[in-house]
Amino acid sequence: MKSKILKIIAVIILGVIGYVAYLWFMPHRNIQATKAYATIDATALVNEFLADAQKSNDLYLDTEGESKVLIITGTVASISKDQLGQQVILLKKPADKMGVSCTFTLESNSQAEGLKIGDQVNIKGVIRSGAEYDEDLDLTENVIVEKSAIVQ
Amino acid sequence: MKNLVVLLFAFISISAFSQTKLSTTSSHIKFFSSTPAEDIEANNYKAIGVIKPDIGSIVFSIPMQSFEFEKALMQKHFNTEKFLHTKAFPKSKFKGTITNITSIDFDKDGTYVADVTGFLTIRGVTKEISEKFNIVVKDGTVTGTTEFPIVLADYGIAFKEGKPSTNLAKTIKVTAKFNFTKISA
Repeated sequence: MKSKILKIIAVIILGVIGYVAYLWFMPHRNIQATKAYATIDATALVNEFLADAQKSNDLYLDTEGESKVLIITGTVASISKDQLGQQVILLKKPADKMGVSCTFTLESNSQAEGLKIGDQVNIKGVIRSGAEYDEDLDLTENVIVEKSAIVQ
Repeated sequence: MKNLVVLLFAFISISAFSQTKLSTTSSHIKFFSSTPAEDIEANNYKAIGVIKPDIGSIVFSIPMQSFEFEKALMQKHFNTEKFLHTKAFPKSKFKGTITNITSIDFDKDGTYVADVTGFLTIRGVTKEISEKFNIVVKDGTVTGTTEFPIVLADYGIAFKEGKPSTNLAKTIKVTAKFNFTKISA
């Protein structure tokens, strides 16, 4: 009887240790392995945020930061690198004021290196924040998408 | 006639200067928390900002879900309602003024210390802050750096019990670096 109780206690302790270890070493979400919520044109996504930011935040952003994974279709308007060395591709039509800024990762950077301004591409990534023209701050803010990669 | 030409040239120069602004999409903001239990660091490369030298204004916008942590669980906690509530408040903003703007020449190589006063909004709470912003102008490029503390309770972030109360510092250190590009409007 006593050994049975000890075995149960040992199993419980191991379970707790396993759960804590899982939480501690929990991997970051693999964006490219996550099914895309939607495929959407860059201009259409920008316009959704400009029309109703609150509604768009509710739809696309997640409480724990695990926001929607999207495939953005659009025209390459600019190519740059951020301070971490990640490629940043802005998808925007010439007539639009704002677009979708897609940041690649150090691992997926090479996919963006062959792109040219004017190319049509589909880019998959996780949305971080929406488009906004802040008149008070005189800031034009693109939609921010990160962990990007090119998809067919 | 000669005076007229000089006046016209001066007017054009002033107009050109007044329409120039400095814009940045190349940024790195880091926050660092240190307690006996652990050190926590998060990095964000997606902030944007604008300086208007003619009026001395300086503004930044920071997408909060772009802060990345080494540990996935910490990143999740950071975004939740109890902490930054990033779904409801996806951006933090700073709107301020460089009070000594006349002592900074963005066209001349040099190191300048800007006195910045303004309003920082985090998690929907706005506080007035005054900090130094170090500006380096070199070979036509403009870089700005700063470092300052943030008291989390000032922005409604406080934990009285549980792991965050022991593992997260009450005051965190923020460092930021921005590479600016000159834009003629």
